[in-house]
Amino acid sequence: MTRKIVVVEDDQPILDMMELMLKKLGYEAVLITNGIDALEAVKKEPPSLILLDVMMTPISGWEFLERLREELGMRNIPVLLFTASPTVPEKLEHMHDPLLGMLQKPVSFQELKKGIEKYLR
Amino acid sequence: MEQEITFRGHQISHTDLVRSWVIIALTISCILVTVIALERDVQTIYPQLFFFPILYATYFYPRRGILVAGISGIAYECLVYAFLFPDSLSLISATGQAILYICIATAGAYFIEKVRVSEARYRSIFDNSLLGIVLFDKNSFAIQLTNQQFGTMLGYTADELTSLPFSEFFPSMEARQHFFELLGSSADIRNFETSFITKDGKPFNVNLSWSRIEGSTVSCSVIDINERVRARREADDMAARYRQVTESSPTAIVIIRDRKIVFSNPAFSTFCGYSPEEYYGRDLADFILPDLRGAFLAFSRQWETGRSLPSRAEFRFLAKDKKIRRGVLFCTPISRDGIAATLVNIVDNTEWEEFREHVEETTERRRDIISTVAQELRTPLQPIMGYLNLLLQDPQTFGVTEETREILERCIKSVDQEKQVINQMLELSVMDTDETTLNYSLFSVPELIHGILEQGRYLRKAEIRIDIPVDLTFEADRNKIEMVIDAMLSNAVAYSKPPRKISISYHSMPNHPFHQLAIQDNGVGITDARLDEIFEPAGLPGQDRENHERAGHSLTLAKKFIHLHGGYISVDSIVNLGSTFTIHLPKQAPKGEERI
Repeated sequence: MTRKIVVVEDDQPILDMMELMLKKLGYEAVLITNGIDALEAVKKEPPSLILLDVMMTPISGWEFLERLREELGMRNIPVLLFTASPTVPEKLEHMHDPLLGMLQKPVSFQELKKGIEKYLR
Repeated sequence: MEQEITFRGHQISHTDLVRSWVIIALTISCILVTVIALERDVQTIYPQLFFFPILYATYFYPRRGILVAGISGIAYECLVYAFLFPDSLSLISATGQAILYICIATAGAYFIEKVRVSEARYRSIFDNSLLGIVLFDKNSFAIQLTNQQFGTMLGYTADELTSLPFSEFFPSMEARQHFFELLGSSADIRNFETSFITKDGKPFNVNLSWSRIEGSTVSCSVIDINERVRARREADDMAARYRQVTESSPTAIVIIRDRKIVFSNPAFSTFCGYSPEEYYGRDLADFILPDLRGAFLAFSRQWETGRSLPSRAEFRFLAKDKKIRRGVLFCTPISRDGIAATLVNIVDNTEWEEFREHVEETTERRRDIISTVAQELRTPLQPIMGYLNLLLQDPQTFGVTEETREILERCIKSVDQEKQVINQMLELSVMDTDETTLNYSLFSVPELIHGILEQGRYLRKAEIRIDIPVDLTFEADRNKIEMVIDAMLSNAVAYSKPPRKISISYHSMPNHPFHQLAIQDNGVGITDARLDEIFEPAGLPGQDRENHERAGHSLTLAKKFIHLHGGYISVDSIVNLGSTFTIHLPKQAPKGEERI
């Protein structure tokens, strides 16, 4: 069974590319361009992993994460933050969430593969 | 001096001798006169005659006067008995007379003795007083009497003083004139301070108080106030010097007593913008920013309770022009006029603080800009990187030929390089704010170098000779040192053409305080003029871009990392022969708090 990965990203070129990459890696990619829709989708059908952009509107990746963990209580879905911001690693250290990882943009095919495999073990 | 003679072991002065003779003569005369009067029956004068020797003797020798009265009484009684017996009335009268003699002598002796004792007492006070005492005539200023202390003060003997007028001791006409004026006024004068002149011409400060006693005699007490005058002058000097220091001080100085400002210097007026009239007597807290008054009161309570004060405390003041001034307060407990007070030094650091805030704001803003720029640069790299990866991952599917593949690989390399540059740029912006910390550990240098060579595939690019002890260890931040050596190697590769020869060698002697790791290349070399430039961040306006094209920020970072460790990088270069970069790293890692 192909595992499902939800990609939440408001940048369409990146989203298109991610779809191809994930397909190449053998996952089923669900592409969503904003956090609110993503919460709905995840609630309906929990994925194996979420790839999450941080800088988004109307809700940021951080808010999405909080609502996913607190409101939906989905604490066992791994989330990989997918960001270009240099301040994210510092924030991440303070979260103490074992199922929360990070990929620094631009991420290479190998890095993406390793990152996902690490959390899908 | 009175002359004395010795009579039966007693010292008797001439005066006493004469007086004794007078008493004896008077007594005998009285007896003789009484004998004649009784014989001739003259009844009027004879009993009263005996008063002369009795009073005379009592006056000079009170106790002996009683003896004379007794003898006189007995003599008179005997004479009356001899001549008038048995006239009983006369005998009774004679006995009464005799008793009267003794009574008068006793009363006289009592009062005279009393006067003598009191006089002796005053005499002793007069003689032993530490004050100089002078009695002089108000009109002629002739000195009538002085005590010894007065003579001692001015260096005169008692005899010399009696021949001098009192006005002679004043050194100047003005002082004398002033004295005359005061003396002319009817009131008694207390504490008139003036200066006298001693016998040897030195000034002598005195405090005079005088009062009229009888007739034109004035009694004047003279106090030596030389010490007091000297102390006062010293205090005045001190005060003048103190005033000079405080008034010219750029630091605002305030003295607070009972929460009120009792002293300030001009710098404080400048600092708060108020004039002394506006702040004297007011609480310093009134000038502190309203929000901070509570904190200030807590702080000032510490000096009121005498607890040890913090070395400094910073407060914001509201100046008269409604602008905020920042002052650092240094407080010292002092005593002013014998009452506990607090000396507050206020160092105006308004401008410094504003400047610091400005710098902080600017740095913060720059970091934000760099951070945003980094994000904006990284995001579009993502699809490029992704698609390139995909194309290379599956060349057949996408119809990628071997030739295209090589081109795509070069593209990926460029994207990687750009990624590196962005990371270095961020690293530098963080380092500017001094937030970088070092994680010290002990690690093997040969292992580290082999790791770098493998990671950067340097062995493919150059012939590398390594000459370092196999057991060499550094105590430093491993990641930072790794980046430094990597930057050096990448620089060596970038600035040379094949066949590249790079050598890595270790030179330090065991007792030398620094490790010395040299990386030598056979590249183009660097001219002396550009030696300093190579460590500057690339791409800044006005700099030679060509020279930095490939080095990016890596050398700048390398230099900063080594500086953080307390070391430095030196460069030796000969154009067209090559360069040697030497890393000098302290062998002794800083301990505990010394670490940055």
